[in-house]
Amino acid sequence: MLFSSVGFLFRFLPVFMVIYLLVPEKYRNLILFSGSLIFYGVGEPYYVLLLVFSILVNYGISLLFFRPEKGQAVRRSILILALLFDFSFLFVFKYWDFAAQSINSLMKGTKIPVLSLVLPLGISFYTFQIVSYLLDCYRGKFEEKATFLEFATYVSMFPQLIAGPIVKYEEVAEQMKQRRLSAKKLENGMKLFTIGLGYKVLLANQMGTLWNTIMTAGAGNLSVPAAWLGAFAYSFQIYFDFWGYSLMAKGLGKMLGFKIPRNFNHPYVSKSVSEFWRRWHITLGRWFKEYLYIPLGGNRKGFVRTVLNLLVVWTLTGLWHGANWNFALWGITFFVLLSIEKSGIGKWLEKRKIIGHIYVILVIPVTWMVFAIEDISTLVSYLRNMIGIHSATAMVGMEQIFRYLKEYGVLFIFCILFSTPFPMRVYQEYKDKWYVVFVIVAVFWFSVYELMMGNNNPFLYFRF
Amino acid sequence: MKKWKKILHNCPYLIALSVTWLFLTAGGFLLVWYRDYEGMKWQDMLSNPFFAVVMEQEVQGKEAQPALTKNKEKTDVIKKDAANKEKNNDKKLNINIINEYLGESISGKQDSNSPDSPSKESGVPAIVLPDVQEVRETKGDMQVDEEGKGKLIEPPQIPETETSVSDQEVDAEEKEASDAAVVADDKGEKEVSGNKEGNKPGITRFIDYPPIETDSIYYSDAGKIALTTEYDYRKVNENYFTDAAFIGDSRTLGISDYAGLDADFYCENGMTIYKLFGEKGITWQKNGQKVNLSQVLQQKQYGKIYIMLGMNELGYGDTEKYLEQYRTVVAQIREWQPQAVIFILANLHVSREKNNMATEFNNVNINDKNAASASLADGVNVFYLDSNPLFTDNNGFLKSDLTFDGVHLYADNYESWKEFFMEHGVVKDGNGSTGNSIK
Repeated sequence: MLFSSVGFLFRFLPVFMVIYLLVPEKYRNLILFSGSLIFYGVGEPYYVLLLVFSILVNYGISLLFFRPEKGQAVRRSILILALLFDFSFLFVFKYWDFAAQSINSLMKGTKIPVLSLVLPLGISFYTFQIVSYLLDCYRGKFEEKATFLEFATYVSMFPQLIAGPIVKYEEVAEQMKQRRLSAKKLENGMKLFTIGLGYKVLLANQMGTLWNTIMTAGAGNLSVPAAWLGAFAYSFQIYFDFWGYSLMAKGLGKMLGFKIPRNFNHPYVSKSVSEFWRRWHITLGRWFKEYLYIPLGGNRKGFVRTVLNLLVVWTLTGLWHGANWNFALWGITFFVLLSIEKSGIGKWLEKRKIIGHIYVILVIPVTWMVFAIEDISTLVSYLRNMIGIHSATAMVGMEQIFRYLKEYGVLFIFCILFSTPFPMRVYQEYKDKWYVVFVIVAVFWFSVYELMMGNNNPFLYFRF
Repeated sequence: MKKWKKILHNCPYLIALSVTWLFLTAGGFLLVWYRDYEGMKWQDMLSNPFFAVVMEQEVQGKEAQPALTKNKEKTDVIKKDAANKEKNNDKKLNINIINEYLGESISGKQDSNSPDSPSKESGVPAIVLPDVQEVRETKGDMQVDEEGKGKLIEPPQIPETETSVSDQEVDAEEKEASDAAVVADDKGEKEVSGNKEGNKPGITRFIDYPPIETDSIYYSDAGKIALTTEYDYRKVNENYFTDAAFIGDSRTLGISDYAGLDADFYCENGMTIYKLFGEKGITWQKNGQKVNLSQVLQQKQYGKIYIMLGMNELGYGDTEKYLEQYRTVVAQIREWQPQAVIFILANLHVSREKNNMATEFNNVNINDKNAASASLADGVNVFYLDSNPLFTDNNGFLKSDLTFDGVHLYADNYESWKEFFMEHGVVKDGNGSTGNSIK
């Protein structure tokens, strides 16, 4: 089930919230856990078993770390086995086909079978969350172990199950035991959720249409401005899509009494790529830093090791986003950019506001193209068109661009505006005023309207 | 009580949402009650929030149904007449058909021995269907819905085109389906059209194949694939299109953008046959302004009108409704543009990746819609052009390397589409106004 679906908004959520608010406090975790399984099971009737299995096994393993009598060597081997267990699921479902195909094409003669498994929804997110818990247990971060229900609820709770943020257990440990619900929290959570819904439905989906239109004309047929327009459109699409989802998660968490960490902090106003990554998908960057980069030695083992560690971290960050070469390339692009910035240019850029902003505004959309276009030859031809090396006459020229701008110009203005911290600041200031409430109600119904249009006529969404 | 008051005081947004929700739901109720929705069951309402009904109206709008003159008695006569005719017109033509995969896509190839097999240029993809079936030809075939709501029944003024059938072997086989479909031929209007001399009317053939079971409110498997109307097409040059209008959805927009034809393009993303004459208008690509198509067509005379619509209808209304509306539109255009040749363009298939039998979005549905619209072709004033063979593979799927989204062609493929149009010029000897032909 997706947040931005009529089934969630008008069936699951109201029913769930009423039950959740009515039951005595001690049953709330149980309700949340079972509700989350329903939420997940509606879309993934079989993989929900995988989720439950994973929760059971990992909880069992985590208990072992709370036994002081076990020696360090034993703990270590348990940890390694546990990590192998968790990542092997992720590997089989997400990376097997990619690895098999890559090996098959690299080495003639090998015929590793391709499984063509459907990726279980959210597996990348919940695996990372489970692993963070195990590692924290291993490191002895918690004095008290979580009960099974607490752990199960932490892993599966529906606000962050499918698309993050990747919450650390310490952030919600207290709330798992006791959380205060209040009308105020419910209200603010709903508002936050609606804002996220609006970002997703009204901004991201619309921008997606433009991106689709441009790609439909063909990456090879674009003029320079058309290629850049497409890159900007995609940049906004992915940002509002993801940020919208994170906001919805945060809002839902608030409604349930949780404080889910923020995942985005206006990344597009950064002045360097390093700053961009401090503001983009914060919980993922944090995960890689705490559970991979630092254990690898971080930047404390000399220059060569630092560079090597960064390379590993960023390649894996890339691959985490998807099992394909372009994602690896995308991660490596950031490795290169960040390494260059580490030489001091980054600091310099962050001081010079205008140059820094221009740099980020030009570089990030290019990286998004590497992210978005999975087919390498299409990617190359797109990037070539961005810098004006056309292999054929560019068919998508000014005429089309003017039309796109006429149709999407206002949307671009909104996207630019909402990429700055300004609207959020205004919202925080005036969120209880009646006119803000009015605007948010309008956003909600307008989003629902757009969703319904897509529901009644699924193709209207694509708008042929 | 105080506690509740406090909660209410703290939750203006929750209250506003709940109130609007209730309001919309009640509105949906009232609307259903007021309009006396047929076929709307309470189960539907559970699966779809009530206000969906309100919004559905918005999607559809009260789309401009061109007010056609209704003449019920006449229609009944026509219906009967047509029913007889259909039997006579049914003619057997054996073809090999392989229904590739659950009818996922079907494409046909004629038995080359067949004396009357559709010409090569009708360009059916190299096909492959297992059961021997038949190709049926229809002329001005129209389906009339049972006792119809009386509204649109006047068929388009399609002149009779007897000749093609007269000398052919007749097989009085009944149509397999027991539906109310009948063929109507509008004899009475014979003299209306401008063409008399010389041109042998075209024939629109269909490849029949055993239909698959479908479970959708939007379509059923028609069991037939429409082929380009057989006709003595001329190769024409670009000047041919100076008095042409193209009407359609985003795919026609693609033709407008990338084919480089100097014609008038009236197209819009998401355009449907229902919305065509609607008050919201349609964009005239020459200046990007919205125009009211019904006004335009009444004011400006065209030599050719190309229509390609049907993709956005895949998930709205069923094929019968689609045909009904299509017929209305064609009839209306014929009335406004008596000189114009109307080309009904086949909707392009989708790619294998996009084809999804679990949704409405598949080539069976597209074929269903295409076959319906092709039945309106009379080979005299209305022609059906199937350009699918240009872009589809052996199984009828849009080739994956020609498309990003499985639906629209990359910009550099429109050139060949343009050539297809140029190879299918209809030049009537008795009518000089239809443009230049290269012989």
